[in-house]
Amino acid sequence: MNAVEFKDVSYSYDGQTLALDGVTLSIAQGSFVCILGGNGSGKSTLARHVDALLLPDAGEVQVVGLDTSDSANLFEVRRSAGLVFQNPDDQIVAAVVEDDVAFGPENIGVPSSELPGRVQEALGRVGLQGFAKRETFALSGGQKQRVAIAGAYAMDPRIIVFDEAASMLDPRGRRGLMRLCRELNDAGMTIVLITHFMEEAAGADRVIVLDRGAVAMDGAPDEVLSQARQLQGLDLEAPFAVQMSMALQDAGVLVDVCVEEERLEQQLQRLGMAAGAGCDGDAGGEGAAEGEGPSGEGEGPSSEGPVRANCLDGRVAGEPATARAAEATPSCATAVEGEAIMSLRNVGFSYAGKGAAVGLQALKDVSFSLNEGDFLGIAGHTGSGKSTLVQLMAALLQPTAGEVLARGRNLADKRNTEEIRRAVGMVFQYPEHQLFAPTVFEDVAFGPRNLGLSQEDVAERVREALRLVHLDADEVGGKSPFALSGGQQRRVALAGVLAMRPRVLILDEPTAGLDPCAHGRFLDLIAELHEASNVATVMVSHNMDDLAKLCNRVLLLNRGEVVADGAPATIFSDEEAIRGIGLGVPHTVHLAHVLGLGGCFCGIPTIPELAAQVAERWQGKAPGERPPGADAGCEPTDGSELPPDRHAPGADAGCERGCGHEPGPNGGSA
Amino acid sequence: MSGNALFGRYWPAESPVHALDPRTKVLATLFLVVVIFSAQNAAALAFVAALLVAFVLAARIPLSQALRSIAPLSFIVVLTGLFNLLFVQGGAVYVDWGWLRISEGGVAQALFVAVRLALLLLSGSLLTLTTTSMDITEAIERLLQPLTRIGVPAHEFAFVMGTALRFLPQFADEFRQIKVAQIARGARLSTSPLRAGMASIASLIVPLFASVFRHADTLSDAMEARCYHGAKGRTRLHPLAFGRRDAVAACVLAAALAAVVVLNVALG
Repeated sequence: MNAVEFKDVSYSYDGQTLALDGVTLSIAQGSFVCILGGNGSGKSTLARHVDALLLPDAGEVQVVGLDTSDSANLFEVRRSAGLVFQNPDDQIVAAVVEDDVAFGPENIGVPSSELPGRVQEALGRVGLQGFAKRETFALSGGQKQRVAIAGAYAMDPRIIVFDEAASMLDPRGRRGLMRLCRELNDAGMTIVLITHFMEEAAGADRVIVLDRGAVAMDGAPDEVLSQARQLQGLDLEAPFAVQMSMALQDAGVLVDVCVEEERLEQQLQRLGMAAGAGCDGDAGGEGAAEGEGPSGEGEGPSSEGPVRANCLDGRVAGEPATARAAEATPSCATAVEGEAIMSLRNVGFSYAGKGAAVGLQALKDVSFSLNEGDFLGIAGHTGSGKSTLVQLMAALLQPTAGEVLARGRNLADKRNTEEIRRAVGMVFQYPEHQLFAPTVFEDVAFGPRNLGLSQEDVAERVREALRLVHLDADEVGGKSPFALSGGQQRRVALAGVLAMRPRVLILDEPTAGLDPCAHGRFLDLIAELHEASNVATVMVSHNMDDLAKLCNRVLLLNRGEVVADGAPATIFSDEEAIRGIGLGVPHTVHLAHVLGLGGCFCGIPTIPELAAQVAERWQGKAPGERPPGADAGCEPTDGSELPPDRHAPGADAGCERGCGHEPGPNGGSA
Repeated sequence: MSGNALFGRYWPAESPVHALDPRTKVLATLFLVVVIFSAQNAAALAFVAALLVAFVLAARIPLSQALRSIAPLSFIVVLTGLFNLLFVQGGAVYVDWGWLRISEGGVAQALFVAVRLALLLLSGSLLTLTTTSMDITEAIERLLQPLTRIGVPAHEFAFVMGTALRFLPQFADEFRQIKVAQIARGARLSTSPLRAGMASIASLIVPLFASVFRHADTLSDAMEARCYHGAKGRTRLHPLAFGRRDAVAACVLAAALAAVVVLNVALG
């Protein structure tokens, strides 16, 4: 008996478009299946069918052998299949943890005497021992999701479906949730993980990709996730390891396409790439002194277009490795610092007199300047003070110690507050949740009207702002913002801030909750806005790859203190330290570090740059030293189909000359 | 960033008050309202205040937190006090500027009414501070049980109240977030919401309601997914049971009412 069986299932919400279109699939008992798909691909609809929250219009769904459309099976189906939703706040029914965990078992009439045991067991299972009496509201997002899982677990289910359950968590919470899924699966639970994070999919036994309500791909992660081009067509993005291995193949290195990063690392190490070798090891030592790596002075603001995979055309990532090498300048460019537009001096902030947070020092002794033209990234795990910091910069909070100066004006002076607020555009997380007006035009006009502009000026600002976010005022201006897609709503919300023509633009987690394609497009949009206007931009993000791509400076926060401030390449060079504060480094930096190529790049290497560097190293070895490619695969199967002499031109160019080989993601080619 | 002792919030602790049967606490709160309104003079009111403080301490809630929990509603206390101060006259006149006249009687009455109102709020807050939303739900449902015979949907009514309590702090937080975001877009909300204009008010209310509907949609799915189907066949993690404590509490409250009556008469 399969845990879940879909037989030619179709479902439509409105009777016109099919959200599920003839889905047939079966999920074996005890398996770990990942369901991928862009926004609107039918993933959540499928999840709701497993739990009989939706019943098929056509076809049949069976859960542990029970037909979900038979109302006699309803509670048995729902008991057997737990469902964990995306938003931690939406699914918790009770104000206290134990009450919430007990809610399901209470509903199916488990005797009161058995309930405390079940609650204890479920809380232990999800790692929340001792939380029984805690208030649910005061928990972190990750803890809330654990409560939700415990609530499902306490009903003694056979299957747990996670409907993008990790998408609103920070990286630490996400990793913890993935570990928990693994543990539950090891203990025999069938796990159905719905996600658009590719790295999560790599850990599953089987990956199913949905597209417009139908199964587009189905197979082992290695098979499915390595189809980079096909995934892009489905609004998804191949995992880093796949993109990297394909770039390596293009550069002539004999590797198999790997889905998991660790296996790619092992593969490369077996090919003779070991840590500590240094980038000048094989290619001749004449310029070894330069091998010390980036100077840490920072790079100029990006002058190149953002280098990233475009969902619409077929490119994998970036551009071919050699495309721009010729025009590159030969050394790391030191950025010219712009004039300081905002400075923070020994700023502290504590939430005095506000209950739980009394005495909690959200920020301590923070000093830095934001310069004209800067693209500053701010990273730190939840509770590190990021949100407090950006609200201080937007004059929405007053520091309790130190001072915030905007162009020399002190924020503490009430008369300046209004002016600073006008000059700083603040885009909060999920900004579309603040849309309110009957039409898009009216919503975007809200800011300019508050500035007291004339009708004509307001209209002009609205058109301009909508154009900047690639929306046509004539087309969407008269529509209700609530009728737009999620991605469009976010653009409208951004336009609402841009219409105030801010001198500083602050974005708090601007891509949260978007699928990989929309994420990429929104990031491109931000990069484009910054380049076009050179407006000083601050972006808070958990995604180190995004920060590395866009920022010329990164500020790391930990427990309210600035622990690092500098160019991304410098910041990310100390991987240990960054892991120590619960963050990661960009994928390419990690791999370069593992392979001992950490000092070979000026900025953060792009995938093709890193591939070219690896290829050089590899080709620097005498052919006899090269281990045969067949031994190096992800799996010791087919070996490599690439001829070993497929070398990139200029194979002998050592990286010691190399800091300017190619512009980094931020453009080192000023 | 949220205040921990917001009105309606639960304060987790192990105390004799927390351990009372929630039905006792709901009834006791109603009874306290009667006691508070019965107090006719300062001495009786002081006695009730002392009693409430004793309850707060017995519940192991820091007094400052208990007071902070009613702070968001303190404007009602202040307004009522001011109203009495200006419109009740009698005794010595302290201030007399034509239309503004403050007299001894006004001051006394203002203080009395303000304290009484504060005590009422505090007794309500004490219930939610020491009783989880689930327990209040259950208590109200059970107390309303007799009315189901005449068609009152006791379970539904109680569940709606419990869910409202659970979401209160969350919506307070979201509202704060929306407000800050609109201020960042130049909305003049920090000064006077009345003068802010319709657009600014809509900029707060519409997103809040959109959020309420968003939450409600998923919440109902989440409840169904966990087999919720009303009161039928539902068991309880902590089945309600009256104990010795509840009898003690009932006696304390009865004694309190008696004491207040005596004080009223003695100092009448």
